[in-house]
Order: sequence, then C-alpha cells, then structure tokens
Amino acid sequence: MSSTSQKHKDFVAEPMGEKSVMALAGIGDVLGKRLEEKGFDKAYVVLGQFLVLKKDEELFRDWLKDTCGANAKQQGDCYGCLREWCDSFL
Amino acid sequence: MPVFVEDPAKFSKSRLKSDLVAHNVSLPSAESKKEVYVQLYLKHVNQKNAADFSSDEEDHEQDAIDKEEHAKDPQMLDLADLTDDDLKAMLLKHGVKAGPIVGSTRALYERKLKKLLEPDAQHKPNGTGDGALYSDSEEEEEDREEEEEEELDSEQVRQERAAQLEEAQQEISQAELCLQNGDYVYPQCFLMSSRLRACASRHWEPRPKRNAGNVVELSSEWSRSQCSQIPIELSRTSSLDEPTGLGSRVPPVSQSDIIHVPTSSSSRTFSITQMVEEMESQSLLSSSTDRERELNGSIVEEHWSRANRLDMLKRDKCTMKNQSLYYTPKASPYELAVKLTQEPVTDIPQEILPDSEPTPTGIHVTRRRPIKGAAGRPIQYKYPDTPVSPMTRERQEVERRLVPIYIQILVFLIVACLLYLIYAYVEDNSFNPFVALLDSLNQESGSEEGHLLQAETQDTPVLDTLTGQE
Repeated sequence: MSSTSQKHKDFVAEPMGEKSVMALAGIGDVLGKRLEEKGFDKAYVVLGQFLVLKKDEELFRDWLKDTCGANAKQQGDCYGCLREWCDSFL
Repeated sequence: MPVFVEDPAKFSKSRLKSDLVAHNVSLPSAESKKEVYVQLYLKHVNQKNAADFSSDEEDHEQDAIDKEEHAKDPQMLDLADLTDDDLKAMLLKHGVKAGPIVGSTRALYERKLKKLLEPDAQHKPNGTGDGALYSDSEEEEEDREEEEEEELDSEQVRQERAAQLEEAQQEISQAELCLQNGDYVYPQCFLMSSRLRACASRHWEPRPKRNAGNVVELSSEWSRSQCSQIPIELSRTSSLDEPTGLGSRVPPVSQSDIIHVPTSSSSRTFSITQMVEEMESQSLLSSSTDRERELNGSIVEEHWSRANRLDMLKRDKCTMKNQSLYYTPKASPYELAVKLTQEPVTDIPQEILPDSEPTPTGIHVTRRRPIKGAAGRPIQYKYPDTPVSPMTRERQEVERRLVPIYIQILVFLIVACLLYLIYAYVEDNSFNPFVALLDSLNQESGSEEGHLLQAETQDTPVLDTLTGQE
C-alpha cells in the first residue's frame, strides 16, 4: 500500500474511544453491518479480536474474511489501521 | 472416521460456540442460553456427520462452503475433538506459536492447523475427485486420454503378441510414423514441422544400427522409397481424418497394434526408468531415451521421444492435463490417432511426483499442484518461516540491537577500574591534603610564636645580666 486513506489517517490520529466499527479503514457500510450483526459493533471489539490473535496478520485477515467476507484489500486496510493504531496508542 | 458419540449437551458453551463456528454456522446473539447452542449444534453439526456416511444426501441448508468442507470433514472432526491445550500443543509442534485459544479464535487456529496438516495429507492419492473440478482443460482431450488409457489396458495381451509382428513390419511402421510425425498427427500442437524435424534429427544420431536412415530423410523420401505403401497409407490417413470412419478401423487392427505397442511399452518403460531421471534434469532426456531405445530396439521409440518432447513444450504452455478419468469408452479412429500424440502425457504426473503412490487409475495430481508450488515441495518451505512471525522477529530485533557481550564486559571493567581509582584517590587524598595543610599551618604559626617567646625570654635575661653587671 503506497499511501494510506483518509479514513486510515483519521482513525490512527486519535484514540478510538467509542468509535463505530465502520470507522475502521477498509470497513464500509456493508462489512460494518455484517460485523455488527456478529456482535462486533465497536472498533474496540475488533481491536480486541486483533489483539487476542496476537496481531498476527494472517490470522486476523482470515478472521475478517470469515466474519464479514472482506476482500484482500479491505483486510489489509483494516489490519494496517489497527496495527498502526496499536503502535501509537498501545 | 470416528463416530461422534459425545453428547453435545455436555459440552461447554464456548466449545459449542467454537464448533458451530467451525462448521460455518452463524452464532445466535451473545445472550442466548446454552440450549440454543445445543440445538444449533444438533441441527447443523450432527446432521453433517450423518451426511458423511451417505454421500448422496445433502442437507439443503448447507451451502457451497459446507460442501467444500465435506470432503475434509474427518479431519475437521478430529480437530474439533481436541481440547484447547491439545490444539495449542499441536500448533506448537508444527512451529506455530498460538495465542490464546478462545471461542473466537479457535476456529481460526483449527483451520491453520488443518492447513499445516494438509501438505502431508496431499501425498496420499486422494485428490482425484477434485481434479475434475479444478481442471480448466477441455472435455474432449480428457475423453481422448481416458480412452487411450483404457485402450492401453485392454490391449495388453494383444500388444505382446504384436510386439513380435513389429519386427517384421518395422518398415511399414517407420513409414507410418514418419507420416504421422511429420505431417499429420499433431493438429493441436502449435509447432512447425521444421521444428519437429530438428528435434528428430538431433535425436537420431545415436540411434541403433538397424535404423540407418534419418527420419527426416525417411519422411521426405518416403514417397520415393516406399511408393507401394502410398495407397494404403493414404487410405488410412483419410480414415483417420474422418471421425465417423469406423469401418476403416477394422482392417488397421494390426496397424493400430503396431502403433500402440511401442508407445504403450515405452510409456511403461518410461514410468520405471525415466521417471526419476526426468526429475533430475530435462537435459537427460535425450540420453535416457536413447537407452530406452536400446531396450526396446524399436524405431517407434523415436515417435515417442518426440511426442514426449512435445509434451514438455506443452507443459510449458500449461495445456497439458494431468488427470484423466475413466468414462464410457467411445472410440473413434480420429481419437485413436490423437491418442498417439497424447499418450505420454499421462506419465507427466509421475514425472512431477515420482514419490506418489500409483493408483489404479494412474491419477495422482490435480492441475493445481504445480501452480501452488512445484510438486508441493515449496509448501514445506513455507511453514518453517511462519513461526518467525511476531515474537521471534521481535527477539531477533532486540538481539540485533544489543551490544556484543565482550564489549559489554570491557566497558564494565573500564567503569569498574575508573570507580576504583576515584575511590582510592578520594580515600588517600581527600582529607589529608587539607588536614595536613591545616596542621602544618598551625604548627608553623605555633612554632613561630614559640620562637618569639623564647627570643623574648632569652633577651630579658641577657638584659638582666647586662643590667646586673652594670
């Protein structure tokens, strides 16, 4: 990924607080809806899954694909945004 | 496959959840009771287990993903039986340092372990069923190969008998093959006949004594030297041209024997002697074919070697097919002719995978294998890298940042010496200079006063004595 999206920059810029899952880069309306249906309504819930998978990219991508059917780019965006957030705020 | 005897009602809620997730069942909302999970479990998981035994009954609710997993279900069940700790231990055994295995992660780790287990399992010849699914080759060619194989099996006996006839009719077969190789038989190989001939002439030099002539020359001079054969051959090729020319197939039975025997025997010899050598390097091809030619002592080998070479090229173009299935035999003369060119293709799977066990159908490989990684071997290399993922990399990074140990010791010694020197210096000289200075100052002043007093006292008696004398 050469450049990061605006969504990515916004998310990484500040603590996530109570942001919705759709604030995550790569998670749009459709995927956000699916995630919410599965109980992942807030970004921090996804972060929890991300952390419990030990920030492993492969596993997280797998999980995201299973849970909401994200494609490779969406997986990569979401993973990169969470990882970067962790790098700066964890 | 182990029969599933455990009662799902005894499972823990998280276990039920993870099993459901593993079977692609969407979980109910987080607040729902355990009974809901048990019901779901009974509904989805156990039904699927039952479906394993009767392959025809397919549940309506199970979508395509379920079907995909259907074949691998035994393994899934084995994995599902593992406890979290076992799963973690198994992952560790495969070089993966698993994180916490909880309800939401277990399915992922199970899948990962399955993926790790798969490369071992792929050596078993079980991928034949999927082969047809993934093959993007055309049905026609498959049919040809199938019939070809069937033909080969059924004609085993006739081949032996015809092998004796072969010697006598070698001249004819030579001519036939030349005709086929040069001009006719490769309709779907996009090769110029000049290239074919180049291969042939390259191959031809170390030939056994009997075949004095060059194939190229034979094919070019064939019309001159064997004029009498022309009508027969022409009629035969014309019959081969027509797919419906079944009637003309009956007379060339001996011809088809002549053609089939060497190719099939060569294929058998090929599978034994050449399989490994092919794996070693493609450059060995010519020498091995030469040896084989000596073994069989037949000119028709030439046809095979050329066809094999063509197959190499075809493999590069990914137009070859590794699998073939037995269907209804539907032989037509045209397909017979095409079979001759396609014949060695069936041995390519063994070329690629020499260690795979032979199966009754001779099918081992799906087309996917070479694409995923040559003969599945790089997949093995892939996994030793995986454990180096997060933790080890961190550790390596830390190690890289650390100063070497001898430098550490050196610095420590230097610092220790310095501290000791400072300490010793302070201990020796801290007070003493000042105290000694003060002391000496005091002593000096005291002694001066003493001297003065002494001088005064010495002066007065002197004066006294002086006054006393006066």
